[in-house]
Amino acid sequence: MTSHTYDAIIIGGGHNGLINAAYLARAGKKVIVLERRPIVGGAAVTEEIFPGFRFTEFSYVVSLLRPEIIRELELPKHGLKILPLPSTFTPMENGDYIAAWDDHDKTRREIYRHSPKDADAYDDYARLMVRMAMAVKPLLSLIPPDLASLSPRDLVGLLKTGLYAASLSEKDLYAVAKLVTQSSGDLLDDWFETDALKGTKSASGIIGTFLGPRSPGTAYVLLHHYMGEIDGAFRAWGFAKNGSGGVTASIASAARALGVEIRTDAPVKQVIVKNGRAVGVALENGDEFHASVVVSAADPKRTFLQFVEPKYFPDEFITQIRNFRVRGSSGKLNLALSELPNFTALPGEGELHRGAVSISPSIDYIERAFDDAKYGQVSRRPYIDIIIPSMIDPEMAPPGQHVMSCFVQYVPYDVEGGWDESKKEAFAENVIATLEQYAPNIRRAIIGKQIITPVDIERIAGITGGNIFHGELLLHQLFFLRPAPQWADFRTPLPGYYLAASGAHPGGGIMGAAGKLSAQEILKDGLR
Amino acid sequence: MNSYDAIIIGAGHNGLTTAAWLAKAGKKVLVLEKRSVVGGACVGNDAALDPAPFSGGFLRPDIVRHLKLTQFGLNPAPVATDLISLLPDSRQLVLSADPVKTAESIAQFSAADAAKWPDFVRFMDKAAATLEAAYATPIPRLPKFSPTEGLPLAQLALKIRGLGARDMYAFIRLLPMSAKEFLDDWFESDALKAAIASLGIHNANLGVMSAGSAYNLLHQYLIRGGWGQPANDLRQVIAALESAAKAFGAEIRTSAEVARVTVENERVSGVLLASGEQNSAGTVLCSADPKRTFLSLVTPEPLDPEFVWQVQTLKMRGVTAMAAAQSAAPLPAGTLIVAPSLNYLERAYDAAKYGQISEKPYLEITTAGNSLSIHFQFAPYFLKNATWNAETRAKLESIVVDTLETRLPNLKSQIHNLKSLTPLDLETAFSLTEGDPHHGQLALDQFFFMRPIPGYASQKTPIAGLYLCGSGVHGGGGVSGIAGRNAAKAVLKGSL
Amino acid sequence: MLRTTPFHPRTSLINQLQNWRRWSGYYTAGLYEMSHEREYWAIRNAAALFDVSPLMKYLIEGPDAARLLDRIVTRDVQKMSIGQVIYTPWCNAEGKVLDDGTVSRLGETTFRMTSADPNLRWLNLNAAGMDVSITDISDQMAALSLQGPKARVILNRCAAKSLDGLKYFRLMENAIAEVPVTISRTGYTGDLGYEIWMEAANALPVWDALMAAGHDYGIAPAGILALDVARVEAGLILIETDYTAAHHALIESQKSSPFELGLGWAVNLEKGPFNGKQALVAEKAHGSEWMFVGLEVDWVGMERLFHEVGLPPQISPLTLRASLPVFKGSAQVGYASSSTWSPVLKKYIALAHVQKPYFEIGTDVLLEVTVEHQRKYAPAKVVKTPFYEPEWKKK
Ligand SMILES: Cc1cc2nc3c(=O)[nH]c(=O)nc-3n(C[C@H](O)[C@H](O)[C@H](O)COP(=O)(O)OP(=O)(O)OC[C@H]3O[C@@H](n4cnc5c(N)ncnc54)[C@H](O)[C@@H]3O)c2cc1C
Repeated sequence: MTSHTYDAIIIGGGHNGLINAAYLARAGKKVIVLERRPIVGGAAVTEEIFPGFRFTEFSYVVSLLRPEIIRELELPKHGLKILPLPSTFTPMENGDYIAAWDDHDKTRREIYRHSPKDADAYDDYARLMVRMAMAVKPLLSLIPPDLASLSPRDLVGLLKTGLYAASLSEKDLYAVAKLVTQSSGDLLDDWFETDALKGTKSASGIIGTFLGPRSPGTAYVLLHHYMGEIDGAFRAWGFAKNGSGGVTASIASAARALGVEIRTDAPVKQVIVKNGRAVGVALENGDEFHASVVVSAADPKRTFLQFVEPKYFPDEFITQIRNFRVRGSSGKLNLALSELPNFTALPGEGELHRGAVSISPSIDYIERAFDDAKYGQVSRRPYIDIIIPSMIDPEMAPPGQHVMSCFVQYVPYDVEGGWDESKKEAFAENVIATLEQYAPNIRRAIIGKQIITPVDIERIAGITGGNIFHGELLLHQLFFLRPAPQWADFRTPLPGYYLAASGAHPGGGIMGAAGKLSAQEILKDGLR
Repeated sequence: MNSYDAIIIGAGHNGLTTAAWLAKAGKKVLVLEKRSVVGGACVGNDAALDPAPFSGGFLRPDIVRHLKLTQFGLNPAPVATDLISLLPDSRQLVLSADPVKTAESIAQFSAADAAKWPDFVRFMDKAAATLEAAYATPIPRLPKFSPTEGLPLAQLALKIRGLGARDMYAFIRLLPMSAKEFLDDWFESDALKAAIASLGIHNANLGVMSAGSAYNLLHQYLIRGGWGQPANDLRQVIAALESAAKAFGAEIRTSAEVARVTVENERVSGVLLASGEQNSAGTVLCSADPKRTFLSLVTPEPLDPEFVWQVQTLKMRGVTAMAAAQSAAPLPAGTLIVAPSLNYLERAYDAAKYGQISEKPYLEITTAGNSLSIHFQFAPYFLKNATWNAETRAKLESIVVDTLETRLPNLKSQIHNLKSLTPLDLETAFSLTEGDPHHGQLALDQFFFMRPIPGYASQKTPIAGLYLCGSGVHGGGGVSGIAGRNAAKAVLKGSL
Repeated sequence: MLRTTPFHPRTSLINQLQNWRRWSGYYTAGLYEMSHEREYWAIRNAAALFDVSPLMKYLIEGPDAARLLDRIVTRDVQKMSIGQVIYTPWCNAEGKVLDDGTVSRLGETTFRMTSADPNLRWLNLNAAGMDVSITDISDQMAALSLQGPKARVILNRCAAKSLDGLKYFRLMENAIAEVPVTISRTGYTGDLGYEIWMEAANALPVWDALMAAGHDYGIAPAGILALDVARVEAGLILIETDYTAAHHALIESQKSSPFELGLGWAVNLEKGPFNGKQALVAEKAHGSEWMFVGLEVDWVGMERLFHEVGLPPQISPLTLRASLPVFKGSAQVGYASSSTWSPVLKKYIALAHVQKPYFEIGTDVLLEVTVEHQRKYAPAKVVKTPFYEPEWKKK
């Protein structure tokens, strides 16, 4: 048994853990990151699963990553490059398609082809979303207050939240309130009439949630995905060079440059508590590390139900964390291809292959996909969000061959009867059969496949329940309720112990906000 | 042309509440009702046994007191009947006002749940009281309101904080949850969760898994005063309100359809009847639903087109059908429900999402003597590839009868005189746009300061002098009189 | 690829620089020759032919057509006679301008509306509860604009019916090369001018006939560079250059009322309720904070700025569509949104937003210009628009 001493120990080398470490190190602290896997990155990793084919295994597109983090940690210097993903192409069941291209006029004409009304509404809608994103964005960098507390810190937080709300115009405030509480289906029905357009737009409202587009609250998730569009630092959605692992690699490199020590293959077993304070961690292999604070950048369930003995937390808090919803609903099918998928709606290689392809012909289609999942089945006809990284970054696959990332919903964690190999194959088959309907050559093009269910996300990336956001973005799990009321400011009931990942405010995605904000709070408390 | 202090459009329970309240304050009030009877959605057509959109309800105690309704023949303080979930294996789960009795019934399904029941009821009562306080709070326009306007809000905030951290957060968290999530946090028995969750979807175009159904659950619990429907006769409630209003001096005219609210210089000037008759008043309170009010009772010109759009996109989308029948055989007393499991309820709702009538519906049956009133969900107003006609009605009725038969064997041969109200009937006979008994879904994006339209939750409308006093406004939805009372108070506070 | 207008088979052959701009998703010529000068002078001295097909066009029909438009625009549509055309802005409920364009009364219950931006959604929103049908005919309908003192003679040479009786802002049914056309006496140059509306499918014969008829009168196909100079001289505003459409604006200060755009003359507060009326009544009562005015730059002063650095005046012949701050002393009191050298007036002129009280005619202000990479302040005076209005424009 060896023992080491640090200012801060970060459990988990996901992008939030690394960002948190980098900011603490930047403030002069001695920091170590302990990651259970042989590589860092968590849900943002790139791995060569088949020789020459590099899969961006889980997350695949970037837009939310806070620009200030990119600047402050000088990530471009460490290799970060975000390449544009200019279009979204939706093949339709009737053989036609609808697409949003990277030019306003072109997109307008494309939508006009389907509905002049929608073409008009599209611009107004886009402006509304920009305004809403502008309105909501400040919340992302607010520390959620405890409404019940009278401590100066919380009162100031409350005041800031109040001032923020008062700073909005009446119209925007109401529009935000409406948006946050609506279903993405209703929102889009109010604006548009073309099914495939509505289906595609509504899909961003269900990503990572166990809800259908008709469920209230999904419009907020849709907005969450819009947030990156207004940063101006880079374009709406982009693909990181080398995949999501490329993002992680640049953060890890920046962290190391700031003096952070990163250890992989170092699974933490338990947090060591002394005199009611977290003072270190013990690894599975018995090694111990000591520090004045311990930061968990793993999900809330692990953080509070696994790493620490329950006796250190109030019962009420334990119940709240148990009740925190982490139902995994997404899966992935990563494919190695000998040729590009050829879409019958727009044959041949083209612009569409450099953007996203969305299998989302209507809201009802996605809602039915959800219906399957809520009764414990994999969607027979799932929503699929596809990108072909090798078309954007040629280094992702051998020349002339391709990798294709298919993000799939719904794939429930709690599938009826539990997951096994044959169910996994059946899930992959659902996806391939669905794709085949639009790109008949897909089956013959497949030379390798990696099937990822929520159970695999849990097993590989270490996220309980396999929820991509460490906890669903439900209204009752946001802001001052995330992950639990009174503990939304990254602190925990155990002094010296902090939460710094997606399960905290402001939630998941490759955003880094939780990692950065938590570092700020830790530094405010001071490290002993 | 007659001149009044205030004209009230519609003599439903809210319109009558407003009328009685204003008349009592000495105002000269005229109520205009399109139908030949008063009572709105509380009273069926002609025959006493005809179904009505609502089969139960009572007015908030403060309204009963203020309008002295017991003096006008109202039964004081009705209690909620037992909510009896009829399960397929012929077991029954009974939720009653008596926690001990209820715990015993729950214990058949789960001892752990039975043990939690008293705590749960305690929380529900606290939460319902908080909700009632919220409903009584006039909502100013956000975010810039005057300190006087803000005071009631601040008092409400203090009241919510007064719940203590634990219950406050439980209350706040509850609102956006689905009924299933909310109940999963408390209980393990599916039968129990389903019985309670049935309140969450009652009259709502929501499933038990839809966010916001927990709020609807709390709303129903509040206005019912418990689990089952109140044990009283709505006709009697209406009769008492009508007598009170008249006694205070209100004039009530039936078969008097309003064609238009007249507006001069962006201010209300009165109403024009379909008969061509004109009545003038500086204040008009409309208890019709917001869609009807803004899309057909006023001309669009003075309104902001964006506002009109918000009205057009208001979610009404009724999913309720009603039926009434008599039975030769005796019927069990109470509020009987067919809501055996959460998945059953959710599947019933799934049908509605795609414009289908639920083949296995959620039913709520209230009985009085040998007559039964049946509340049916989901029967969507908007059917896909079909309309409401004789054929779809027949289908609806056969599903009703077949479903009843699964729970009350032999009833099929005993019942007669079955009459149904499809959502289309609710619209045509009761002027409920899209057949929505709540005048607008009680959905998260249509409640509190967003009901009916953000910025207009205070009964006021963009047209000076025109107020909403029906269920479509903050506090409304179901029988309670809250919206009618709030409107009367708002008007009296103003410059009438 | 952008879309091409029905005249593209002709215009693409004569566009010497292949200089194309975007206009509502269409290719539109910036200029046809190597310099836009001849095109400009054609407007002022002969006749210039513009392809204005990318304009948005809507057909509004039905018993409530007039009622709908009356609710939308700030002028009185009910009072329009058949065959009349009006230019008008329209506002949102806060009285801020959404767009401006023309409304033509083609019949008792039939209107055509043209606009710069898409307005289908707005038209539909406003039509709630009205008996009216709205059709976007932008693609079906081609349009040409023939502008300049010789426009009438040319038309008379090729049109079936004489244009002599057609008054300013009136329209008539007519035919050119046997193609049925509607001709309105309207334009965007402040000169004598006509706009010719036809089915897209029949567009080319009309172009050919006009070019042939105009040959002896110096007709010149013209692009938007020339148009831009002429419209500033005429004091005509351009959306997204001189003002931000209220529903595009991200902040309050980007929005303008019709009064603030100098379009008070087009606001009828006497008529019944229309969008923005309440706000406009209030603004009228209080007076506007801003006004859209003409600025005439003192040429001697301008020259001096250049002389100070040893240069002759160097002024682009193109209209500058960028914001130039306007000062009174050292305080900024506004900004010019379009400015140009006027070849016909031999003056530097600008259209500017100026704050109270500096927008009064005759006020001396300073216009910020860049001379040899340095900020300088050219003396200028607030003047009435149009800067240029030939007497034949309305005759
Ligand atoms: C399939 C999928 C697709 C996604 N797609 C996108 C997308 O396209 N765009 C986007 O922005 N977001 C996407 N996301 C979400 C995004 O990837 C995650 O929200 C984000 O990466 C989470 O980062 P994190 O740092 O908060 O946590 P994680 O990345 O989960 O990091 C937690 C780390 O803790 C480690 N850990 C756990 N237990 C221990 C232990 N005992 N000891 C030591 N270490 C431990 C884990 O191994 C892991 O490395 C997707 C996620 C998934 C799963």
